[in-house]
Amino acid sequence: MAAPGQSWLTQDFGGDDEESDNDFNPGLEMGSDAEADDDDDQKPRVSAQRSGSASEDEPAADSKTNGKKSVSPVKEEREVAADEDEAEGEDDAKEEDNGEDDEGEGEDLNGNEDDEEDEDEEEDDEEDEDAVTSRPRKRRRRGLNQFFEEEAEVDEDDDELEAEEDDLGPEFIQDTHPDDDLPPEADQDDRRHRELDRQRQLQQSLDAEQEAAKFRERYGRRTTTALSNSSFVPQNLLMPDVNDPSIWGVRCKAGKEREIINKLMKKFIESQGSRNPMRICSAFERGDGPMAGYIFVEARRKVDVDDALTNVADVYPRSKMNLVPVKEMPDLLRVTKNRELEVGGYVRIKRGLYQGDLGMIESVETNGLEVTVRLVPRLTYGMDEDQARPGAADAKRKRPNNFGPVNSFANRPPQRLFNENEARKRHDRFLQQNRGLTGRSWSYKGDLYEDGFLIKDFKLQHLITENVNPRLDEITKLTRTAADGSELLDLESLAHSLRNTTAEGNYVPGDEVEVYEGEQKGIVGRTEAVTGNIVSIMVTEGELTGQLVEVPVKGLRKRFREGDNVEIIGGSKYRDEVGMVLRIKDDKVTVLTNNSNEEITVFSKDLREATGAGGAGAGASKFDVQELVQIDPTTAGCVIRADRESVRILDQNGSVTTRIPSQVQKIEARRNAVATDKNGSEIRVGDVVRESGGENKSGTILHIHRGFVFAHNKLGIENSGIWVARCTNVITTAAKGGRITAPSTDLSKMNPALQMKRPDMSMAPPQRPGRDPLQGKFVHINKGTYKGHRAIVKDTTAGEARLELQTKHKTINISKFDLSVVDTNTQNKTRYEDWIRNRGGPSAMRAGPGFSGSRVPDSGFGGRTPMGVMDGGRTPAWGTASRTPAWGGPGSSALESGRTPAWKGPSGSQTSYGGGGMTSYGGPGNHSTSGSRTPAWNAGAKTPYGADHGFSSSGNSGFDAFAAGSRTPAYTSSSRTPAWGGPGNAASAPTPAARPYDAPTPGISAPTPSASGRYDDDAYTPYLGAPTPGAGPQDAPTPAPGFAKNANKEPLKNNRLGFDAPTPAASAPTPYASGAFDAPTPAAGGPRYADDDDED
Amino acid sequence: MAGRGTRQRACMVCSIVLNASEFYKNGCPNCESILGLRNSQDAIQECTSQVFEGLIMMGDPKSSWVAKWQRLSNYVPGIYAVKVVGQLPQEIIDTLEDNGMKYIPRDGTSVEDDVAA
Repeated sequence: MAAPGQSWLTQDFGGDDEESDNDFNPGLEMGSDAEADDDDDQKPRVSAQRSGSASEDEPAADSKTNGKKSVSPVKEEREVAADEDEAEGEDDAKEEDNGEDDEGEGEDLNGNEDDEEDEDEEEDDEEDEDAVTSRPRKRRRRGLNQFFEEEAEVDEDDDELEAEEDDLGPEFIQDTHPDDDLPPEADQDDRRHRELDRQRQLQQSLDAEQEAAKFRERYGRRTTTALSNSSFVPQNLLMPDVNDPSIWGVRCKAGKEREIINKLMKKFIESQGSRNPMRICSAFERGDGPMAGYIFVEARRKVDVDDALTNVADVYPRSKMNLVPVKEMPDLLRVTKNRELEVGGYVRIKRGLYQGDLGMIESVETNGLEVTVRLVPRLTYGMDEDQARPGAADAKRKRPNNFGPVNSFANRPPQRLFNENEARKRHDRFLQQNRGLTGRSWSYKGDLYEDGFLIKDFKLQHLITENVNPRLDEITKLTRTAADGSELLDLESLAHSLRNTTAEGNYVPGDEVEVYEGEQKGIVGRTEAVTGNIVSIMVTEGELTGQLVEVPVKGLRKRFREGDNVEIIGGSKYRDEVGMVLRIKDDKVTVLTNNSNEEITVFSKDLREATGAGGAGAGASKFDVQELVQIDPTTAGCVIRADRESVRILDQNGSVTTRIPSQVQKIEARRNAVATDKNGSEIRVGDVVRESGGENKSGTILHIHRGFVFAHNKLGIENSGIWVARCTNVITTAAKGGRITAPSTDLSKMNPALQMKRPDMSMAPPQRPGRDPLQGKFVHINKGTYKGHRAIVKDTTAGEARLELQTKHKTINISKFDLSVVDTNTQNKTRYEDWIRNRGGPSAMRAGPGFSGSRVPDSGFGGRTPMGVMDGGRTPAWGTASRTPAWGGPGSSALESGRTPAWKGPSGSQTSYGGGGMTSYGGPGNHSTSGSRTPAWNAGAKTPYGADHGFSSSGNSGFDAFAAGSRTPAYTSSSRTPAWGGPGNAASAPTPAARPYDAPTPGISAPTPSASGRYDDDAYTPYLGAPTPGAGPQDAPTPAPGFAKNANKEPLKNNRLGFDAPTPAASAPTPYASGAFDAPTPAAGGPRYADDDDED
Repeated sequence: MAGRGTRQRACMVCSIVLNASEFYKNGCPNCESILGLRNSQDAIQECTSQVFEGLIMMGDPKSSWVAKWQRLSNYVPGIYAVKVVGQLPQEIIDTLEDNGMKYIPRDGTSVEDDVAA
């Protein structure tokens, strides 16, 4: 019955647009209704599926049987009306789409049922046809013959449904009324009708196909999509269900995924012809994303997966195999769209010379696979080439080197803008200017350079386009500099690159923010908390006020108002600037900086409300005035003004620059830096220096940094009194702490002999005959770090003992007075002071130093000590003094050295007369050590003295010096120097010996008395004979008298000083003796002189 | 990520992955009638891409859900890419549509469309 009916319907419904969907159903419903009534099994599925619509038809078909009649129309009305609304809402095209979709579904649902498909098609046709309304036709139909009654009725019903839709409510009821009366026969009729239907349907299907073909031809483009083999079904309808094969994730070697897939494919193909083919449906990998190290295999059974993966390298099916939940399957194949590459965007180069370098997109090929990128070139201009090598060989060598060290990442040349002049130097032949518009375009070695930048094509796969994170310095490098020097930084493109890299840290609780994207768009509030990428906002405006909303950072931007005082916090090169908001456009904010009164535009995310009331210097700068900062790797400077957002720096070259605090870096001051000034004296921080030349500025050194001195002058106004100069251009005027800075040539420091004396001097006083009783003792430490330790004294000095600890293998120095001596037998401890006192003797005295200077006790060694010293000391002193002539007499060089000390002896004692205290040990000491004497001499600067007399020229200046030194006081007054000089020279060398004769009258006079003396005492012989015994020196006689004189004079002087005269006399024999021992002649002379003296 | 090493390319229409030479010799096994890649280096350049991600070894397109999801059900078994980056020239897209095939870009753009629809 349906078939014929439908043919009718086809015709009929042609008129009704909106009904298309409904039309479709009624036709079927007719059948289904019938089925319902007759239990006809022909289309059970359809009926089931269409049951909903069946209800719609009921009123017409079986209102009576079901008794639903009364209700159904109303219901229908509602439903249909709803449908209609929908339908109306959509325009033609849409409708068709629906139709198509339905079809699709229909296909899905009905699978193989051709009939249905045909019907669908018919309906399509109808739809297509229906452009012309069929109201008139309908009418006509309505009045059609009774032959088709049932069908017609049904049709009519349908029509009426449609009519109803067209607000034919009452009519509909009227129309249906007659049907109500028919039911009894209707059942029977139905059968026949259905048969007819079927026949008709068959025919119709054939027709429909033809017709469909026709339409397809006519409306090909629209319909084919639906009919093409890859019909477009929204992916969300393709969601996997349990009937689909399962997917297992299998571990594999990371990086080998693709290889594995290829292998599997090969294996699959090979296995197809074999006895047990691979049964997996598919296998796939998702590259090196989060799913690296996995391949996924789709199969019905796990066994199949195992089979497929056995004997495939790098896959580990034995390890845990994860069954992917059905819900997650689509996620495995999710494809995220690459960010659209835009001109002006930033990319990084993946490989090659420019690996990792930032590039700016100049243009993108239409297929999006090739990109022209602007880069800062890295060129050597052939500087690294071996010129000697012939070109061909070079080229040959170069290729392998591409992967070798020459072009390695580490060795690549630095980024520098293209410089045609440099290129010309060696590679002129590779260089060619492009006659372009700008004239700044060059071709060099096959690459294009514009404005110094390299313009190069890259394949998309060689670029990193995501997470580029351009750094500001890179961007500035890449930024073209306009002719006027201003930088054409394209904020827009920067925004694109940066927008997606919003760091969470940019939001701080309390920021006023606005949601500009997403569901909560428009919300304004204050951030309450930030957790990861989610910001909790307390809404402050609108109807949500007071609510806490969580929003992803992505859709947020900070909100400012014009006039707000803001601080730039990051991302931009204006970091740390503070200013006032002038203008806000989207998320770009224009700020007038307080510092430079510049208008700058930044992203609102890089802004923060400035703390403080506003105005410059609201907060403290992180730098202090006078601080040393690094401006660039080669330049350091001293802060001369520090504001919150800017630092004024006097750099080492003397120029003053203003920087943003973030651009400079503190240098840790080296407190102990030392340099030398112009004169070579050392200067340190804190010294006062004067600029040599220039403005003669002076100041205290603040910093010394790599040959530059930053100094501060309190009175200076310029640069807050700070000035800079090279170390070599300053002269130190006063050193800190009175340190002697002048390069005084302190010879005493240079003379090793003098250096040695110091310890000697200090050593001398302790006067310990024998070793310190403390040595070797077992002691207990009373104080200090090692309190309580026991040790053995290894060595001692005046105040300290060197101990070897018993507990540790360690030797320490500790004051003797912090020790207790432990009696090895009784284990009793005795404090050192007590112990040493008890031991008594000199050592106890020696221990006395505690009371006063070490020397005092010596001098106070019995009140008479000086006396004793006098006595004891005098004797030898005199003795030596008197001996002097004798010694001079022999004049033998062999004795010279031996005598020297002796000689010194007297002079030493003489000196000590003035000094006093030293005499005591000076006396005895003179015999023991010659070296010890030296210091005594030192007192009277012998050098000048010697110089005065020209003795310095004499060979043994040491001798002279001693002589001079010792005699100085005495001789200066008595002017006997020449005489005295005579012997010295005589003893040493003849040359000086001449002198006494030349200059000093006394010298000449000296012999005279002596001669006279000799005359007196028939000493003529000796005098005459003097030359003879003189042995070596011809002058021997001369000195002899000279010495005599000397000797005479000295005693005299001494006499004058209050020493008794006899002493010399007494001493006289001594020389005599020695003289005799040396040579008779002088000996003879000696006594004579003595006699003379006596006579005098 | 991208086809490195070998000069593999993926058809932008059906996403099958082949060597450039194979495309040149035999064309695309699925879309040859429309794209005509055989013996045409230009067409290969235009309609295939070296930038693709995620390989799928498709053994049984008819029953595979992966195939269904990737809309490969009617294609020949072989290796396909999950994502093919690149845009077909407009005239090719037009031709495709004229031939009754709906072109679904495989570079991820269609996902958003789906969601939107």
